[in-house]
Amino acid sequence: MNRFWNFAGCVAVAAFVGAPTALAETPTDTLIMARNIDAISTFDPAQIGEVVTNEIVLNICDSLVEIDPEDEAAVVPSIAKDWTVSDDGLKITFNLVEGAAFPSGNPVTASDVAWSLQRVLTLGFGNAATLTEYGFTAENAETDFVAIDDATFEMNLSRPYPVMLILQAIAANRVANVLDSKYLMDKEVDGDLGNKYLTTQSACVGPYALRQWNAGEVVILEANENYYGPAPKMNRIIIRHVAEAQAQRLLLEQGDIDVARDLGAEDLRDLNENPDIEVVSAPMHQLYYMGFNNADPKFADDRVRLAFKYLMDYDAMSETVMAFLGMPRASVVPLGALGALDEAEGQPFSLDLDKAKALLTEAGYGDGFSARLFIGTLPYASPIAQHVQENAAQVGIDLEIEQMANAQLFSAFRGREFDTVMLSWQTAVPHAHGMLSRHAVNPDNSAEASLTMFPTWRASWFSEDFNRRIDEALFERDEAKQIEMYKQIQRDHMQKGPFAYSFQLLDTAALSKAVTTWKWNAFRAYYSDVEKD
Amino acid sequence: MSASDPAGLESSPHLVSSLRWGRIGGQFLRTVVSVSVTILGLLVLTFFIGRLLPLDPVLAILGDDASQEAYDRMVQKLGLEKPLWEQFLNYVWNSLQFDFGTSLTSGRPVIEDILRVFPATLELATLAMILGTGLGIPLGVLAAANRDTWVDQFVRVVSLIGYSAPIFWLGLLGLTVFYAGLGWVGAPGRIGIVYQYDLEVRTGLYLIDSAISGHWDIFADVFSRIVLPASILAYGAMAYISRMTRSFMLEQLSQEYIIAARAKGASRSSVIWWHAFPNIAVQLVTVVALSYAFLLEGAVLTETVFAWPGFGRYLTTALLRADMNAVLGCTMLVGLIFITLNLLSDVFYRMFDPRTR
Amino acid sequence: MDAPATPARESLRDWLQAPTANSPRQARAQVVWRGWLRLISNRAALAGLVVLALLVALAAVGPWLTPYSALGQDLGTRLQPPSALHWLGTDDLGRDILTRILHGARITLMMALLVAAIAGPVGLAVGATAGYLGGWFDIVSMRLVDIFLSFPSLILALAFVAALGPGIENAVIAISLSAWPPIARLARAEALTVRKSDYIAAARLQGASSMRLILKHVMPICLPSVVVRVTLNMAGIILTAAGLGFLGLGAQPPSPEWGAMLASGRQFMLTSWWLAATPGAAIMLVSLSFNLLGDGLRDVLDPRND
Repeated sequence: MNRFWNFAGCVAVAAFVGAPTALAETPTDTLIMARNIDAISTFDPAQIGEVVTNEIVLNICDSLVEIDPEDEAAVVPSIAKDWTVSDDGLKITFNLVEGAAFPSGNPVTASDVAWSLQRVLTLGFGNAATLTEYGFTAENAETDFVAIDDATFEMNLSRPYPVMLILQAIAANRVANVLDSKYLMDKEVDGDLGNKYLTTQSACVGPYALRQWNAGEVVILEANENYYGPAPKMNRIIIRHVAEAQAQRLLLEQGDIDVARDLGAEDLRDLNENPDIEVVSAPMHQLYYMGFNNADPKFADDRVRLAFKYLMDYDAMSETVMAFLGMPRASVVPLGALGALDEAEGQPFSLDLDKAKALLTEAGYGDGFSARLFIGTLPYASPIAQHVQENAAQVGIDLEIEQMANAQLFSAFRGREFDTVMLSWQTAVPHAHGMLSRHAVNPDNSAEASLTMFPTWRASWFSEDFNRRIDEALFERDEAKQIEMYKQIQRDHMQKGPFAYSFQLLDTAALSKAVTTWKWNAFRAYYSDVEKD
Repeated sequence: MSASDPAGLESSPHLVSSLRWGRIGGQFLRTVVSVSVTILGLLVLTFFIGRLLPLDPVLAILGDDASQEAYDRMVQKLGLEKPLWEQFLNYVWNSLQFDFGTSLTSGRPVIEDILRVFPATLELATLAMILGTGLGIPLGVLAAANRDTWVDQFVRVVSLIGYSAPIFWLGLLGLTVFYAGLGWVGAPGRIGIVYQYDLEVRTGLYLIDSAISGHWDIFADVFSRIVLPASILAYGAMAYISRMTRSFMLEQLSQEYIIAARAKGASRSSVIWWHAFPNIAVQLVTVVALSYAFLLEGAVLTETVFAWPGFGRYLTTALLRADMNAVLGCTMLVGLIFITLNLLSDVFYRMFDPRTR
Repeated sequence: MDAPATPARESLRDWLQAPTANSPRQARAQVVWRGWLRLISNRAALAGLVVLALLVALAAVGPWLTPYSALGQDLGTRLQPPSALHWLGTDDLGRDILTRILHGARITLMMALLVAAIAGPVGLAVGATAGYLGGWFDIVSMRLVDIFLSFPSLILALAFVAALGPGIENAVIAISLSAWPPIARLARAEALTVRKSDYIAAARLQGASSMRLILKHVMPICLPSVVVRVTLNMAGIILTAAGLGFLGLGAQPPSPEWGAMLASGRQFMLTSWWLAATPGAAIMLVSLSFNLLGDGLRDVLDPRND
């Protein structure tokens, strides 16, 4: 054993002393970022569902408008230079920029815009929900998205939705990425509208262009020399696949990369002390939550679900396991969204075993029960689940954790084949409606309806009252009144809702000191604004 | 590697037994039949593993948010609603043409992916093999020649540790000490980012590619990265090879011709290297071939730790991403490699071993 | 061994060391006894045996040796380095690592034993039957063995456990599925050598059924070599189990299975090395002692050594 201890001691000393070798340097015109890019499976904006690919595609494909880099609640022009709204609020008319051209040489026209949006509905991937949620359907796509002439595009709404919400949710979203329709129709295979071509390539216009993607290895973006907008500062963005957080940290410390995107809490804590490295974070509109299957009478009882909110020591977790990665949040609406409860009111819960026990006893489960808890593979999923498991055990609830690949987790959740589950949900709009429309609204709870894109449906949770109130709030024209309505909905949702939210997740990156400008917000990072010494 | 244990040798498919007797034509026919039956079995096994996986390939394509209609359409497109036997026949037909379908995670044909990632594993495994053989054989001979002395015990313990240590753990420790601590070896990954696009890939083996194009700076970078994972893999291979060498040598050293040679006054080392060793060479080739196959297994875990863009990492990622086509393609390929290596070593054995000729 | 032996033991020793055996039982016992003496004279094998015995003892009483619980969390004392209070430090939820390692020893040994208890008999039965019966049963079962052996055991176990779902029970089943074929092949080879022997022919003439012959006569003869092979395979089984745990397909949290501990500790490799170093060392120690023991056993049983 002694030999082992000596050896272990050497490991420890070696790890803390650090490398004696000279630091490497990355080229000044290239940003090198380490990230786990295993999730990338396509670059077709109609199909992309992962956070990683979303960020990349928004930097290579311009949409009608763009979330303002300086203010995530506002939008700024992109392919659309300006827009007008009809008096009845049912028609938005976009005027497009002049002189924008695709890499193929084809000019960017309104018919490309219309085709791209219609295509999302025709293909029917998960992203179609972004449009169907606001009343667009594949059947009406041709009359809802219309090219008036080459430079004018019209969007016809079925109801007078708040214009800002439509701009944020659709016009700035990847579903409005403008694709080169003529070029893609040439590449069409079996009526797939270019889906196969776009799996590994891009056909759109943006500050960067996709030069290469090797699955599980690297994504390389190159500056678009013919870009209609301001030229990006970096010539190349290299996103290198590094799955291990530890390896990312080592690469950053050795100067082999500029940015590390998937670091763990302990590594970030250390790096935060390092003068050569800057740790930055942005709160995302993404919540980590525990879901309960309401088809089970135990979990259909509001008090049982409420009891679970008293089974976590939020402060202790946010200082340890979730340091730099999340902040406690119990409201369904993330901080930073229009209508969100403030920080204190949005997180009224704390670890309180007596309270939890009392709620369970009141519900008739004083003797406890047992249930399975499904979790995914995120590094913090297991410690959070074990923390809740231990506290639950003290009030008589026996939780049996089962950790599985994320694909399998989603499959179980969608199929309503679970007892309890822990995962996260992200919304693309800084507006209370973004979360509520999926986490409180359930149009039809029947099994035949198969509304699998609604987490409420997956959890078999249905409330006529919430459906109505959220609809009313959405169309309230008086903003002050609307915000008050949203706040009340959140308070009630916290007591009766189907989910126990624990953390609003932070996007945290560590930057080498060579990176002087790094711009991002809850929804994306802006590669074209990156500057290096 | 370590999990494979000495079973590797003793459990080599006994194609030999069916080969050994009978005339050449009959032998050949039997071998063909036996190999095709095994391959068909492989197909059945992989097909049913694929069906049993609780992963949903449709969801993996469409995303978590897809509507039920889109889901049903994709089921149809993938042919998953057809009867099982029809799906199986399709699977067999396509597999025989090396068409394993399209990978859900890379959007490219699985076979193309495999051909792309395989050189990385091949390079790693080959270097490991060279190191493992170069060290393992002399150590085994040394142990046999000094049987039951401290040399033998030392070789025994050193090589058994190679069997016993979890390979992923050795990898983590190695990275911490030699990369993070001492800075002796390169970062995880196969090649430096700055070099990645200067290297003209011809063979897919970066050491060779950089050497033939004269990019010695790239060669140094690639070498500094491969040396640690290859050494760790080699340790397992070395353990196996040295144990087997020792065992073969002991058998030879107790033979009468050795005793006779010694009696005639041949020196100890000449008896060992000139009389005994050539007689175990054929057996050793079999051992080396088999441990080469088992390096593939070690690669699954090593590549995960070292961010090595090879076959093992491709397989584990596919498994975690519900990429059924890729998982089945990889499993088939590993099976085929095993069968081929076994067959080759059988044939080799028959051709060169005096006792079977 | 310096203490004066009791008369009973002395006579037992005499019985075992008698120059001529008076009964088949005594002859068999003498063979085992000589093997045992040779085994413990092999220092490496002895070391393996001692460590294993120690480990089994620790696994049995371990939970009473430390004042902590394997599952008790304390966020206030998380990630503590090894100290007088926590000899091997604490993990990311403040649990005492030594306590978890001791509990984990039970899981690891239990899994290895279960796999041996499943794969051993299955391989023995299939192999003995195939070797004795020959014919289509032999062809089919040996083809099946070939197919299973065409995969590295970890990859096969990985595929099975992915199909069955994660968890210790499923990991045991998956590893057993990949562990029986080599045993079956070995047993078949042994059975082939005895099927033609006179006493089997004699028993058959007396009218014993095939089933009875296999059970009563063929299987016992194959048994010793199967036992050795299973011991040799133990280390491999433990490493495969740890590999599955490491890939998240084995034991589920909060289980202190070593592979799973190592997997969750790897993210702290640079900040708190003891989280990953200790379970890895434990795996290595057990696996090494099985290998030392197996290696010694093989030396003892290898006729070349006589």
